[in-house]
Parts: sequence; C-alpha cells; structure tokens
Amino acid sequence: MNRARLLIVSLLFAAGCGAGAAGCSIGCPGPPPRTDAATPRKLRFAIIPKALDIPVFNYAKIGADRAAQEYGDVEVLWNAPASADQLKQKEILESYITQRVDGIAISSLNGEFLKDTINRAIDAGIPVTTWDSDAPTSKRIAFYGVDDLASGRIMGEQAIALLNGKGKVALITSLGAANLQNRLAGVKEALAKAPGIEVVETYDIKEDVIRCAEIIASGSRRYPDLAAWISVGGWPVFTRNALASVDPSKTKVISFDTISPALDILREGKVQVLLGQKYFGWGSESVRLLRDIKQGKNPPAAIIDSGVDIVTRDNVDAYEQQWKKMSGQD
Amino acid sequence: MKRLRAVRELSTVAILIAEVLFFAWYLWPDAGRAHPFLNAENALLILKYSSIYGIAAVGAAVVIISGGIDLAPGAVIALSGVVTGYHFVAHDWALVPSIAAGLSVGVLSGLLTSLLIVNAKLPPFIATLGMMGITRGIAFIITEGQYYDVSSRLPAGWRPLGVPIDWLAPIVMFAMALIFQVVMTRFQWGRSVFSIGGNETAALFSGIAIGRVKASVYVISGVLASLAGVVLVLVQGQGKADLATGYELDIIASAVVGGASLAGGRGSVMGAVLGTLIFGVLRNALPQIPGATFYDRLIVGVVVIIIVVVDQLLLRRSSKS
Repeated sequence: MNRARLLIVSLLFAAGCGAGAAGCSIGCPGPPPRTDAATPRKLRFAIIPKALDIPVFNYAKIGADRAAQEYGDVEVLWNAPASADQLKQKEILESYITQRVDGIAISSLNGEFLKDTINRAIDAGIPVTTWDSDAPTSKRIAFYGVDDLASGRIMGEQAIALLNGKGKVALITSLGAANLQNRLAGVKEALAKAPGIEVVETYDIKEDVIRCAEIIASGSRRYPDLAAWISVGGWPVFTRNALASVDPSKTKVISFDTISPALDILREGKVQVLLGQKYFGWGSESVRLLRDIKQGKNPPAAIIDSGVDIVTRDNVDAYEQQWKKMSGQD
Repeated sequence: MKRLRAVRELSTVAILIAEVLFFAWYLWPDAGRAHPFLNAENALLILKYSSIYGIAAVGAAVVIISGGIDLAPGAVIALSGVVTGYHFVAHDWALVPSIAAGLSVGVLSGLLTSLLIVNAKLPPFIATLGMMGITRGIAFIITEGQYYDVSSRLPAGWRPLGVPIDWLAPIVMFAMALIFQVVMTRFQWGRSVFSIGGNETAALFSGIAIGRVKASVYVISGVLASLAGVVLVLVQGQGKADLATGYELDIIASAVVGGASLAGGRGSVMGAVLGTLIFGVLRNALPQIPGATFYDRLIVGVVVIIIVVVDQLLLRRSSKS
C-alpha cells in the first residue's frame, strides 16, 4: 500500500508539472533541456508583484515578458503569493536569493518587513530594484513607479476642481502598504487647501473589491449628501457594479487605476477622473534596469518617477488606443 | 493500531522523500549553475517557513485526534505576535516578559474556547470560528493598521540562546513535535485524547474526564499557536495584525495529510509536522518550474485529496485484515 501511495504521488507531481509547463518553455514532463556550455546563459530575473490576484499586475507581466523577448538574453521568473500575504512574499524573495537569480525586482507589500531580506540579496551580489511599491529604507538600487505623494495631490486637486472647492468627501484606501499611505497623505494634503471640503470618512477596504462595493453602498446611504468618493487604489473600478449605488448627478468619483473595466465605467459617467499608472512599464522598465545594472550601467537616479496619466471623458478614446497598442491587442 | 500509526508515519516520510527526489531531478540546473532546489540554504529556508505552520500543526493534530477542530490558529499567531511587539516595542518591556505576554494570548484564547465547547456545548467549528474573529479583531484594534518593529529593538545578529535566528523556528517545531509525540503515545492523557476522538461514549464509560481532557486540548492548541506567533515575530521582526491570514486551513490540511482523521481518534503529531514539510517543499519548488506559478494551488489541492483518499483505502484494508 505504501508503494501505491508513493507511485500515485510521484505520478501526480509529474502530471502536475507537465500541466504547469503547458504553454511555456517545457512541453512535456521531465527536466527542462540542458543548455550546453557554448550556449550563452540567459540572465534570470525574478519579478515579484504583490499578489497574483491583483489585476493590474498582469500588465506588468506582459511588459516584463515583452522586454525579455526583445532583449533575447533575459528569462523572467514571475511569482508572488496567490493573494496579498507579506510572509509568503518574503518567503518567495528568500527562495530567489537561494536560487542565486541574476536580479530581483519586487513590488513590496511591506517595505520595512522586506528590508533585511532585500539587504541580504544585495550583500549576496544580487541586484534588487523595486517597482510600484518601494522599500525605501533598504539597500535596493532603484525604485520605478509613481511618486505616490504627488499623485495623491493630483487626485485631491482634481476633486477640488470637480466640486468647485466645496462638499463632503469620503476616502477609500487599504491600510498597510506604504505607497497607499503616501497617496492618501497626498490627497489629504491637497484637500486641506480647500476649506469648503470636509473629509467625512476614510475607509479601509483591506484590498478587497467586494468589501469596497459594500462600503460604497453603505457609505452612500450613511452620507446621502456626499459630493465625492476618492479611492487611492483601483478597487471601485475593478468590477462593473461596485459603483451601482452611486448617483453621478450628486456624487463624483475619482479613482486610481485604468485597467478594464475602468474606462467603460468612465464612459458610462459613473467615474469622472481616473489616474493611470505605467503598468506595462513596471515590468519592462524593471527588466531594463536590472539588465543595465548587470552590464555595469547604474540607473540615473535611485527613484525613477514614472508619472501618471490623468484620464477623463475628454481623452479616454486616445488613452484606450494607446493601451491596446501596448498590450498587443492592436 | 500502533503498527498502523507507524506505517502511516513511514509512508508520509516516504512521500516527502519522493517529493524531494522528484524536484531534485526535475529542477536539475543548466551546466555551470548551482542546483536551485537541492542545497543546504534552500533546505533551511523550507524548514524556516514551514515551522510556523508546523508548530501550530502540532496543536491542530491533537485537537483533530480528539475529534474537534480549531479554526483560530492563524489569528492567534497574529495576535500573539502583536501582543509581544506591543509590550516589547511600545512599552519597552524586557523580551522575556513580552514573550510571556504573547504566550498568554494562547492560554486565554484556549481557555475561552474550552469554556465555549465544554461548558456552553458549542460545536468546536462555531466556537473556534468566533475565536478566530475575536483574536484577529483585537490584533487590528491594537495595531490600527500599523506594526511593531521588533527587529529595531533586537541587537543586530541576535542569537537566542546561541542559536542562529533562522534555526529558531525549526528547532522549536521539532522540539514540540517530539514532546507531544511522546505525550500522545506514552502518557495516559494522550491515550485519553485518542479514546475521546475514537468513541466519546466509550471513553466516558471507561472513566475518562471528557470535559477536562477536551479543555486541555484546546488550551494546548492555543498555546502552540501563540508559540508560533512569538517565534514568527522574533524571526521576522514585525508584529502585524494581518500576518498569517488564512493559515488555519493550511495548518489543518498539514495535519490531515500527516494522517489525522477529521472524524477523530486517528492521527499523529509527527505526521502533522511532516505534512507541513510536504507543503513547504511544494511551496518552494513549484514556482521554480517555468509557467507553474498559476498551477501550484491546483496541484497542492489535488495532492491533499489524493493523499487522504489513499489514507482512507489504507485504513479500510487494515481494518479488514
């Protein structure tokens, strides 16, 4: 019986790994083909998003894979916790250090928590960059992403313009990640300049789009005279129905992120302003930065501000055309 | 019964060895590269991260053997870490009393769970589900979304009792597994736990103090979960309310893969620890296979079902013979 158990599990692993390899570099169960000594070795870069279930990161993967394909000498290793879990992300980071990859680019769930591990990678000679969410106190070589404080300020300024400087505003965030805290600080800083605007509540939706929809519905009932929702993450526009309870004639919505179905929701008039990040660039720029570092070219600055795209009804069509081109749908 | 238990533990060891050999072969590196999986550093990494589940899985196995279930370990892990950090960082307590405060979380949550199950007669699923919400909620109330940076107060290169910090969790896990393996198999209390899980009525008529044994089982589970939380905060350096979210299911799955029956009366503490290592190897090795990132949860799920089904077949055949 023991033998049967062993055999079943071994077969399962073989089958599972075969399945896992479908559509990738391995065609059938068995170890990957060995490269002979004369074949130039590819640079193996680990790109680690915050989680696999956050939609915006799929575009970073497209960007990273495309950059790797263009360079030809880079292999992208893409992995993250299934859902946001700091401990699992740290475990993945440590496993890439033990695998001695050629470079690591990570979007930190918690930069302070990862600081020592990132430093250990650097000390072991593995270059580390961050993207989307920084680990500023670590020895990471560079960060590529938005200036969160500045983009928060932009959201606040857009809200002031939409509301003519007066009305009640509710904020949506997810506590924990440093980048979201900075964006929130930027929003509050900008809103503080408009004395007619009152922030009635800051909601923590715990990175959960369903909870976000629930909070928008209950918050809209609690504050029937609410003038605007401002979300520092894309949760209200990740699903089509999250804003169902919002009456656009009374309440405006300003949200981060522009991935589908956000642009459709903007066209329907449920959202007035979206801030788009350089999603593809998270992946492609990370690959480029790491490759440059391996070739002895250090980045021009430790913080590379990717900037944001401000999308409204006026420029949504042009923005979508550009998006399709970037994602290869054109 | 003793023979059956030994056979099951050996077969769990065999699965773990087969798993390691399989990945060692599958992930054989290109010429000139070090093996990405089969190296001492990676083995320590697997042990280090599996141990947090493993310490709690010892308690989970005891609960499952008694015929109960504990859904609170993940939340107790987080609250213990937060309470340790709260006293050590925010109130400048010394390390040992801070650790004691962290461990008291397990004692208190275990006692409360026992009261709910033994005295209020709540089903263990409901009582521990409630306890999971309460402990996680308290952790969030204490931290308000922030965290306690325990590492900032620990000296650089700190070695508790001379042990390198990365070894702390595996040592605690194996020590707990050894202690409870002996307690469960050589002491009257352990035999009582098996009896209650196997047939509670028969256990009652044989004079076992059911309520007292059941209460002790949940206190032990709570204490071991809080020990995992304290170890986590010392090794990882942060006490944070959302750490170990959802780990209760992984902990229960580890105990089940290690031979524990959710019907009670059957299982092993050592098997539960081996179960966490089986998952630890999968968690470490599967992402190293190109393209397998999105398949690993599916594979882990199928592995759990296959192992448990084969276990059932093994049990049925043994019962017949």
